[in-house]
Amino acid sequence: MYVAVKGGEQAIANAHRWLADRRRGDRDRDELSVAQLADQMNLAVDRVMAEASLFDPELAALALKQASGDLVEAVFLLRAYRTTLPRLAETLPLDTGAIRLERRVSATYKDVPGGQVLGPTYDYTHRLLDFLQLADGEVPAPARTEQALEACPPILDQLDAEGLIERETDDGAAPYDITRDPPDFPVDRATRLQMLARGDEGYLLALSYSTQRGYGRNHPFAGEIRIGMLEVEIAVEECDAPVCIGEIAVSECQMINQFAGSRELAPQFTRGYGLAFGRNERKTMAMALVDRALRAEELGEPVASPAQQPEFVLAHADSVEAAGFVSHLKLPHYVDFQSELELLRRLRRAHAQPPTDDAEGGGQATDDGSKEPAPAAPQASRETEQVAP
Amino acid sequence: MRWQAFSDPVQDGQRHFRQVLAAMAEPGTLHDAAAPAVPEDAAIAPALWATLLSLCDLDTSLWIAPGLEAGGLADAVTFHTGCRLASAPDEADFALVTPGVLAGPGRDSTPAFAEGSDAYPDRGSTLLVVLDTLAEGGHWRLAGPGIPDSRDLDVGEATPLMTRLAANQVRFPRGLDAILGCGERLVAIPRSTRIEASVSATPEEDRACTSQ
Amino acid sequence: MNGYNFAYLDEQTKRMIRRGLLKAVAIPGYQVPFGGREMPMPYGWGTGGMQLTASILGQDDVLKVIDQGADDTTNAVSIRAFFERVAGVDTTTATTEADVIQTRHRIPETPLAAGQILVFQVPIPEPLRFIEPSEEETRVMHALEEYGVMHVKLYEDIARHGHIATTYAYPVKVDGRYVADPSPIPKFDNPKLHMSDALMLFGAGREKRLYAIPPHTRVESLDFEDHPFEVQEWGESCALCGARDSFLDEVITDDQGGRMFVCSDTDYCQRRQEEVA
Repeated sequence: MYVAVKGGEQAIANAHRWLADRRRGDRDRDELSVAQLADQMNLAVDRVMAEASLFDPELAALALKQASGDLVEAVFLLRAYRTTLPRLAETLPLDTGAIRLERRVSATYKDVPGGQVLGPTYDYTHRLLDFLQLADGEVPAPARTEQALEACPPILDQLDAEGLIERETDDGAAPYDITRDPPDFPVDRATRLQMLARGDEGYLLALSYSTQRGYGRNHPFAGEIRIGMLEVEIAVEECDAPVCIGEIAVSECQMINQFAGSRELAPQFTRGYGLAFGRNERKTMAMALVDRALRAEELGEPVASPAQQPEFVLAHADSVEAAGFVSHLKLPHYVDFQSELELLRRLRRAHAQPPTDDAEGGGQATDDGSKEPAPAAPQASRETEQVAP
Repeated sequence: MRWQAFSDPVQDGQRHFRQVLAAMAEPGTLHDAAAPAVPEDAAIAPALWATLLSLCDLDTSLWIAPGLEAGGLADAVTFHTGCRLASAPDEADFALVTPGVLAGPGRDSTPAFAEGSDAYPDRGSTLLVVLDTLAEGGHWRLAGPGIPDSRDLDVGEATPLMTRLAANQVRFPRGLDAILGCGERLVAIPRSTRIEASVSATPEEDRACTSQ
Repeated sequence: MNGYNFAYLDEQTKRMIRRGLLKAVAIPGYQVPFGGREMPMPYGWGTGGMQLTASILGQDDVLKVIDQGADDTTNAVSIRAFFERVAGVDTTTATTEADVIQTRHRIPETPLAAGQILVFQVPIPEPLRFIEPSEEETRVMHALEEYGVMHVKLYEDIARHGHIATTYAYPVKVDGRYVADPSPIPKFDNPKLHMSDALMLFGAGREKRLYAIPPHTRVESLDFEDHPFEVQEWGESCALCGARDSFLDEVITDDQGGRMFVCSDTDYCQRRQEEVA
């Protein structure tokens, strides 16, 4: 005999207890500390901060630990925390020209003022598993130089000075805030960049890749990638000078793209822009390519490829939204499914009936709109359907 | 402060909102707003003061019709809610008015309020209307969503208000929504309400609400 | 709960949603954009409904939460527990005792009463979305009241199947103006939207839209003169309470094709069983 399932609350509590056990793993081993994660899993922590739109390495590491390393889950945890925080102040615009650089590369000039700085990069590592790390090998300290970096003016400024690249100017308008207000398509570039900055890295990577393969090609050159620390400042009423409230790590990528011009405007390179919290180079490169692709309409290019369609790209970029909606298919859908079952059975019964003079398929009925399709006859066969225990 | 805030902003704000929501959902029904006190020389009803407290904040703007700022309302509302004061009525999310304001000294000077657009009809002003009379019955007949058959309302001498709200019908979905306050009584008339002057006016006892 | 405001959301967010709700009620069926916040539950799991519930709930309210009509499905249990924790409100499974009912996919069988508020969790609020995926386009269609495509879609069903093949999320026209998605309730429940005594609020968290159907409002399910709207019927009655007028879930009881039908509305079923006993 069927008995309605009760005790969902107990089942949920037990599931969470089991999950906590699984997360902790073998009790004979040391538990991971949040500080360890923030330190040694720093790229995962940075990605969580970028996609959660909250710069807080400790909490991001906590989210990562709590999520057993599931990045999408960790992003969600941190985002849900972020939304409960009061907004105490708004920072002044960041000047990325003032980044205390640890990495700076350009693919467009062999040498640039300030030079190229590789920094701590996976580039040029041979991707060979380092079995020494299985055996807790000693890690030597990095080589250091006494000499500080020279000034590193943004590389695109050089092109700008020559008029070779479109000039970006701040129109002073207060930017739309996607964390407060729903996007109202079509959205402006500042809004698009906000949405891309918190977009899922894998998604942006795939889209940007598609532009390189011809789906919205835009001839990119990595003009400058800079990674480093940047001071964050706020304006305080009582003080004349802005007040520094701390330092954050950021990654920035400026792409130089296909030139455009018109009868009025001499040809110029165009730009794609990427910026993210932390060390997120791949993310910022992908973001810059997608940003540029989304400018197709503005720059008079045909909009034909997925990466060029703003509503498509932006409405599906957020991993918290996407993961939630895909996963909701796990929830019960008995009721709607039952409705479909009932209809499907009815249609199949109608289908099994010998055709009347009305068309069984749609052809005749659509050709002649006045002709009413045969109503199915569920009344007669309904009673025969059921088997009850 | 002579203008009292809610003693429990979270719970009182919620309770008042539910009164306003019920009023908006069933146009023409009277709702009692247990409202914090307003100064003796205030020109607005306690019910509307409570509405300002429960709905306004840093993200909203308020326009106050000349004459209604009596008792230092403008300072009080910005102090208690943080809302911005709009210099022009069509820039306001909420507009405090009297029926007379809607008539204007001459037709042309009747203030224009934001009525939203066909694509975004929600981006319009909500009128908060100060009334001397607010009662069931009366010669304005309301119909539409939230109203089984019809409902009669007495708003006293407020023909310009009702004419203005009746005009919502032709502009729908653009339009003005109104929350009417008299003492601690509150009634809402959203833009979806169809308004007619009914023939039989029934004089009511106790239709005026004396301010306490 | 320590560290969080009553009902989780901060007051500024609640006020933003409350202002949106008033506009939604004033323009029945119109989807009001709102600054949806992340909730501590995934998008798609009822965050829109939860934000609305959190914004309207007071400490004296009695809350009921159902999913698929049932109070004991895991997500209903989870959402109910959330509000018990963050708002400390009383909860109930009895439809008649609730002030606020949050629901996913069903309207209770017991008729709702004046003063009650039904909050729907909505996944895709835009009824035209699967005909026209672009928000820019559908906004214009609503503005111009251009709903011909919806009728074409329904008519294509008739041409192909002899029936309108939409069984849930069946579009309705609210007060003769806006076409709206009644969330994916089965069309069996559509007639309950019409001239209800209760206020019905709809929240879509991920899509950041909310809308409303006030009480006593005309709600018509779209149809054709020669193909009038009709609800599904079962030949069976509920195996537990014998009801013939309620929406039935099919339960598979063995691997021999055995199955039975029981009320999807567990409170309704329970009450009927008690009446019989």
